[in-house]
Amino acid sequence: MTARAGSGASISGWRTGQSVLRMAWRHVWRRPLQSLFLVAGVAIGVAMIVGIDLANGAAQRAFELGTESIAGRATHEIVGGPSGLDQSLYVQLRREEGYTLSAPVVEDYVVVEELDRQPVRLLGIDPFAEAPFRSFLGRGDAGPSAPNYLDDFMARPNTVLMSVATAARYGVDVGAPITALSGGREFTLEVVGLLEPADELSARALDNLLLADIATAQEVFGRVGRLDRIDLILPSGDAGAAWMERFQALLPDDARLAAASSRAGTVNEMTAAFRLNLTALSLLALVVGLFLIYNTVTFSVIQRRPVIGSLRALGMTRGEIFGMVLGEAILLGILGTGLGLGLGVLLGQGAVQLVTQTINDLFFVVAVRDVDLPASTLLKGGAIGVLAATIGAAIPAWEATGVPPVGAFQRSQIEERSRRLLPWVAAAAVGLLAVGGLLLIPDWNLIVAFVGLFAVIVGCALLTPLLTWVVMAAVQWFSGTVLRAPGNLLWRMAPRTILRSLSRTSVAVAALMVAVSVIIGVGVMISSFRNTVSLWLDEVLQADVFVSPPSYAANQVLTTLDPATVEWFADYPGVSSMATTRGVDVAAFLDSAPDSVTDSGTDSATEPVASGAASTVRLVAISQDLAGEDRRYRASVGDSATTWAAVQEGAILVNEPMANRHDLQVGDSIRLQTDRGPEAFTIAGVNVDFDVNDVILMADPVYRSHWNDLAISAIGLFLEPGQDVDAMVNTMRASAAQRAHGAQEVVIQSNRGTRENALAVFDRTFAITVALQVLAALVAFIGILSTLMSLQLERMREIGILRATGMTRGQLWRLSLIETGLIGATAGLIAVPTGLVLAVILIYIINLRSFGWTLEMQLAAGEFGRAFVVALAAALLAGIYPAWRMGRIQPAIAVRAE
Amino acid sequence: MRAEGLRAEGLRSVDEPGARPDATVRPAHTGSSALLIEIRGLRKSYAEAGRTRIVLDAIDLDLRAGEFVCLLGKSGSGKSTLLNLISGIDAPDAGDVTLHADGERVTLTTLSERARTLFRRRNIGIIFQFFNLIPTLTVVENVRLPLELAGRADGGAAAELLAAVGLGDRLDTYPDRLSGGEQQRVAIARALIHDPLLILADEPTGNLDDDTGESVLELLLRLTRGAGKTLIMATHAPEIAARADRVLHVVHGHLQEEHLQKEGQAV
Repeated sequence: MTARAGSGASISGWRTGQSVLRMAWRHVWRRPLQSLFLVAGVAIGVAMIVGIDLANGAAQRAFELGTESIAGRATHEIVGGPSGLDQSLYVQLRREEGYTLSAPVVEDYVVVEELDRQPVRLLGIDPFAEAPFRSFLGRGDAGPSAPNYLDDFMARPNTVLMSVATAARYGVDVGAPITALSGGREFTLEVVGLLEPADELSARALDNLLLADIATAQEVFGRVGRLDRIDLILPSGDAGAAWMERFQALLPDDARLAAASSRAGTVNEMTAAFRLNLTALSLLALVVGLFLIYNTVTFSVIQRRPVIGSLRALGMTRGEIFGMVLGEAILLGILGTGLGLGLGVLLGQGAVQLVTQTINDLFFVVAVRDVDLPASTLLKGGAIGVLAATIGAAIPAWEATGVPPVGAFQRSQIEERSRRLLPWVAAAAVGLLAVGGLLLIPDWNLIVAFVGLFAVIVGCALLTPLLTWVVMAAVQWFSGTVLRAPGNLLWRMAPRTILRSLSRTSVAVAALMVAVSVIIGVGVMISSFRNTVSLWLDEVLQADVFVSPPSYAANQVLTTLDPATVEWFADYPGVSSMATTRGVDVAAFLDSAPDSVTDSGTDSATEPVASGAASTVRLVAISQDLAGEDRRYRASVGDSATTWAAVQEGAILVNEPMANRHDLQVGDSIRLQTDRGPEAFTIAGVNVDFDVNDVILMADPVYRSHWNDLAISAIGLFLEPGQDVDAMVNTMRASAAQRAHGAQEVVIQSNRGTRENALAVFDRTFAITVALQVLAALVAFIGILSTLMSLQLERMREIGILRATGMTRGQLWRLSLIETGLIGATAGLIAVPTGLVLAVILIYIINLRSFGWTLEMQLAAGEFGRAFVVALAAALLAGIYPAWRMGRIQPAIAVRAE
Repeated sequence: MRAEGLRAEGLRSVDEPGARPDATVRPAHTGSSALLIEIRGLRKSYAEAGRTRIVLDAIDLDLRAGEFVCLLGKSGSGKSTLLNLISGIDAPDAGDVTLHADGERVTLTTLSERARTLFRRRNIGIIFQFFNLIPTLTVVENVRLPLELAGRADGGAAAELLAAVGLGDRLDTYPDRLSGGEQQRVAIARALIHDPLLILADEPTGNLDDDTGESVLELLLRLTRGAGKTLIMATHAPEIAARADRVLHVVHGHLQEEHLQKEGQAV
């Protein structure tokens, strides 16, 4: 072809494209409501994905900043046991070994009155050793600080530095005193300088940070003479290995050398399951939205088939028809995606609080103030939105290419063809269900399990047309035999109308069914979970009153009770006995530990291998087995008494998540880093527990014999018989408040209060789940509304004839509501078994693989009944507007309608 | 009984106190049968692309019971609109349509929408040009529709009527399985099932071939004229008009009556 001919072809192609686009646009313009529904479906789906991604990302980044940016350029760290490291080790490293690339750290969270009472990390450092590790002090003389602020910082006790931005936000001036609360004690600190961060990373890290001299931090946290860790920068290769060997020789028994990235790796793995669960749920609305897109485009094709037939007759190719229909959907998809991105940002700002709260409750303290807008999230949301529109529209667009140029198909022929496809769709559904089931059975990773779950959901959705046909056939039979009376005409018409447009109505039923079945599945899972947790709390919360220091995380006590405070409560009138708890983080050497140097991604060929690669686990030492016979074990060496006797002898109990995560069995041994060096402990039982973290239970005397730690994290008090627990708690709180100035502030809770708090944390955790379900249901609702309105458009002439024949508006209303009621009821009916299947998968597979919990499924008829009512109500609600519109159709216009 | 039924539905005869005084009646055709329809000053317009198009203007017409009246006119002349206004499925801009039913004068244009629907259900049968059956109902159910909507049993009348139109063996068939002519025969049966006073047919043979059209027309005339029903038919076909008692041309929104010779030839 010549260049001229090529240019002519491209001009002609461009003109064709223009014409196609113009036609597509005019069709969209003529059916604004239908287009709006498609846009809304895409927008909500994209908004959920973007919102959750932003919230997850914000929490994740806050955590990374809190660990990695503070770890700075450290490659390794020396960490101690629960009571930390003796600071003489640091002196020894620097002076005797002459290793200057080392920096001591003491860090923890404090609550500062002047900073909105938010948990803030207080990082205790040695300013002289800092430069190679962190650049926080690099440009401190900029901004409003005094010129000699570093002198004050180093020379004067109880001084801190904070970022210019933080100070400005809370109106804190240089020289101003601030009140920090730690472990129930108050400390007055002075801000002696403001830091101007050198870069964006430092700025973010400093946003939630107070810098203090190491001595100040030791005093605030009650760790005088102790360090939390010593950061190191080791050279790679043999030189690093040599240094490591030298350091290993120096280390006391309670210390170990580990890769700096190991802590982040452990926590990342734990939160990954939580984030994946949220991401999967956020995809739900888009799955429901896919049905909506498919339905909207199908309607648009069916409505236009005479036009498409004419266009084909006039010379439009199949490809151009495909392009026109698909292009139209993609244009609307882009519009919906744009809207969804905006909504997603707003949603993300709301969701970040819920996500952060849950992470604080379950995993670690993290404070998120701002939601970033990473381009990757927006790109991902944008791509998913447009892709969904393309996938949803591809099948109807392909179908449109099958419209013959002359004598376009009758609607009934299209439906006939769809009915013929019914067995094939059902067969595909069965195939998908089988694949989903197969993916769920093996112990593969969580993502595969979620793929299996989605396959099951889509499989059930594909089974919906056949089931809708069965239900409608049953209703038809019933109305044709039992409801034969003349007044029941509407009951005979309604199921036939649904069957007549089965290819479209069944998609609306499927969308609603998916949303409702997820409501059932997640609802049963949550209620089963809540009941299981509630029973478990009854078992473990045996003491009458619980006393602990104030904590920033719901499920962990980071600080300890003063011995004086413990004594004060033990001697309190009316208290008969006391049990103590000590919770600490220790290093455990597990074969499947995710944080070995190699596992964490460090190149073992060039980086020195740390001998201390281990997982951090929570160790809880208890003075009495308060749960006693009530404690439930998944596996144990014997009955409760035998198992506890073994624990008192030196064995340990591991919680179910830990056993599942690391494939631990009763009788296995695991090595823990004690203050006497690594020691092996035999597992006597795997106990039921709903902590997401790995938790080891140990007898208090055993713990004290292996660790040089006398501290107590919390106490449980047993009251003398006849004492009113609530009254006693009130009296104790009043008395504690009157203790001498400087006495430790504590949280005193009754058994019931503790239980309520635990359940409140539970409910908070699932708040976002419920919100996401509601949004998915909203998309399904739009799907039904869209379907009904489209069906109404199709039936204009029929409605006109009915009205002309004498059907009143009231009868038309009833007909419409019976139809929508049948759609809702069918969706509800199919959703009940589907929801049950989802509940089983969520409880026994997803939850188990995500968090290691085995829940006891409890089926409440109310849960299913409510979901059925939700389906029915959603459909009826969606039917009101179309019914109202149908009533307003002018018969004279309707009978003329094509 | 008809009047009682109408009263029960809240209808009001123009003879009742408070009703609008009757307009002057100028019968277009005189005969021995009773007056059935009076149309006075009827006007209907539509808005099109921002302009008002008057379809019917100042229509005055009297029709007697048992008459077969043909409306002739070009496409878009307003024939269907006039039928719609007479049946009450459309409302005029001005003017009245009054029907004499069971000794009462009922002015459709003053009734509520619901009352108009109930009046139509009871007194009027309509036959459309095409697609006039409900696809989700079987043949017999389509025929029974006006009765069922009123909550009445048909007592076998639907089957009898279908037998009369030659479809006695197709009772449980769905409309999409019928030919155009068969569908129209079902529509005729449906229009007659409730024994209406008036039958309105909008080009009932317009979508059929000549032979089928002729047989459908024969059937329609046999069942309506034989039963003394009033039939108003909109059509393009002069040969159909030749069989009517009266022929009215709709021209530029007005009616012009054609005077017929005794043998049925137009003058």
